Amino acid sequence: MKLTYGHSTLDLTPTGKSYRAAMDDKIVDVEIIRAGNGQLDLLIDGERVTAYVSSDKAKRWVTINGRTTLLTKSSGARRSGGKNEHSGELTAPMPGQVRAVNVSEGDAVTKGQTLIVLEAMKMEMKIQAPNDGVVKKMFVKQGQTVEREQILIDIL
Amino acid sequence: MFKKILIANRGEIAVRVMRACKELGIKTVAVYSDADQDSQHKQFADEAIQIESYLHADVLIQAALSSKADAIHPGYGFLSENASFASAVDSAKLTFIGPSADSIRAMGDKAESKILMKKAGVPTVPGYEGLESEDEFRKAAKEIDYPVLIKASAGGGGKGMRIVEEETGLVEAIQGARREALNSFGDEHLLIEKYLADAHHIEFQIFGDTHGHIVHLFERECSVQRRHQKIIEETPSPLLTPEIRTRMGEAAVEAAKAVGYYNAGTVEFIFNPTDSSFYFLEMNTRLQVEHPVTELATGLDLVQWQIRVAAGGHFPYQQDHLSQRGHAIECRIYAEDPANGFLPSTGKLLQFIEPHGPGIRVDSGFRAGDTVTHFYDPMLAKLIVHAENRETAIQKMEAALRDFVVHGVTTNIDFLQDVLSHPDFAEGKVSTRWVEKNMGSGSLFPKDRPQAVGFHTLIAASLADLSTPFGHTAGNRQANTDGRNESDPYNPWKNPGSFRN
Repeated sequence: MKLTYGHSTLDLTPTGKSYRAAMDDKIVDVEIIRAGNGQLDLLIDGERVTAYVSSDKAKRWVTINGRTTLLTKSSGARRSGGKNEHSGELTAPMPGQVRAVNVSEGDAVTKGQTLIVLEAMKMEMKIQAPNDGVVKKMFVKQGQTVEREQILIDIL
Repeated sequence: MFKKILIANRGEIAVRVMRACKELGIKTVAVYSDADQDSQHKQFADEAIQIESYLHADVLIQAALSSKADAIHPGYGFLSENASFASAVDSAKLTFIGPSADSIRAMGDKAESKILMKKAGVPTVPGYEGLESEDEFRKAAKEIDYPVLIKASAGGGGKGMRIVEEETGLVEAIQGARREALNSFGDEHLLIEKYLADAHHIEFQIFGDTHGHIVHLFERECSVQRRHQKIIEETPSPLLTPEIRTRMGEAAVEAAKAVGYYNAGTVEFIFNPTDSSFYFLEMNTRLQVEHPVTELATGLDLVQWQIRVAAGGHFPYQQDHLSQRGHAIECRIYAEDPANGFLPSTGKLLQFIEPHGPGIRVDSGFRAGDTVTHFYDPMLAKLIVHAENRETAIQKMEAALRDFVVHGVTTNIDFLQDVLSHPDFAEGKVSTRWVEKNMGSGSLFPKDRPQAVGFHTLIAASLADLSTPFGHTAGNRQANTDGRNESDPYNPWKNPGSFRN
């Protein structure tokens, strides 16, 4: 069975008591000593490994030896190419609240100009124009709460 | 002694104060906002009262009166350094657990306190207070020479603060700092001073009673900062000799005496390691976030003493009775993403496993299943260790960080491990701008690391994904095995041995 996370794919085969895991040219034998409560105690080629794993939709949090990795599980066939991202769309780099909207649709803006001010936990963050252009669409209002990666404004 | 104390705060500090109350046999009242319905501090208290905001002084005092509390502990942040709140508490015939309203007022304004310190003979950073127009700031900046620091007179915690490298950035910095200052403190006054680039931040804990006895409880080195906020603190500082420690301690006590200080307070200094000169930065008239390192090194419970002293008790220790034992380090565990400019991360805590062991202390206000929102400061917990010397304390902290598992939000735990294992940290060379510089050069926390997903990480994720119950029970204390599919050959739950302890 093949499982893909981000750009990495792992092939897992049950071998009765344990599993065989393969990625690229690496192949190891994995035995589960204990599993439960979000914790896996494994023997990977004889080496004892404790992993903490959590899932939230496609997200996978894995901690091994104090290092935490956030993975995204891919479901089945991936569309290559995908939709062409519009380059002028600016997104929120953090969750928070829109503190100020300094421009309106149709306004000409210059590179570096502060367009929107976000605030989270009493910290301010400026959303600046990446280049000269015109505000094609404004997606947010002052006072609105936004999630990380939410589209704020489109600059043409 | 008090019978009941209302804690006008939230999160780990509210829980910390309630613990001290419980130990002293005092009942506790929590206040909580809508966003904190399910919070730990609400559940930990004997009573809990819902409020709209932790900043509404009248409502907090009313809550204390209606619950028949005799004192209010403000914690840190929120109203802890608000002089009008302290005096309103007094007027309501309640006890404010902290210094007098007058001391808070005198030290609360950075500009005013700087003038006071100059008078008291405590060294201060060159700069100007009380400027209004952008022109005045421009002239002052030119005179003290760039880089300069603009900061809110009423400020703290890095809010309303801007470093200005050259004149072109001055006006925007003033405007931004003013806006932040107004939002955070309701006061837009700013001061300007020389920015000392490679300085260390060293502060002294002060403690006094209402009978005129005041001592210092030694220093805390707080130079590991990002965005002007501390992330690692330790005591003793690796930079201080006994002579300099004595001089700085005496200056700190003088600063506190100048405002008739009592209860717990902290005098912050900027320290220049090249010539061992030090300057008064500000005094924080409250308990500090990093108070636990002082507690571990001195053996004193600062919160218990705050309460006893507020009730009129004597602080019994003389300066020469006090000493630092071993070495203590604190790491602040933040829900933030170091690879994304340390911006806050929010979400539901899928796992939250705190480390345990000899010499390890965790002050936290969260548990698995809790939600981290964008409404409040993103600090999840403080991890504090105590060991016989600095080297072993660093080792203990590294091990404790490896045992701290937080899923559901991105944290700085990996980043903190990188800082602790960095040779500059081992040598005590970390100045306040060190994080910024080393992140930029990539010598710290290289940005490309997340790309290289480990083989073991993938194996663990895959095995967990082969089994539905695993994903569903993650973060849940109870193992739910009902949903497992017995006929699935991939299912790791199939083997009954898997559940043996």
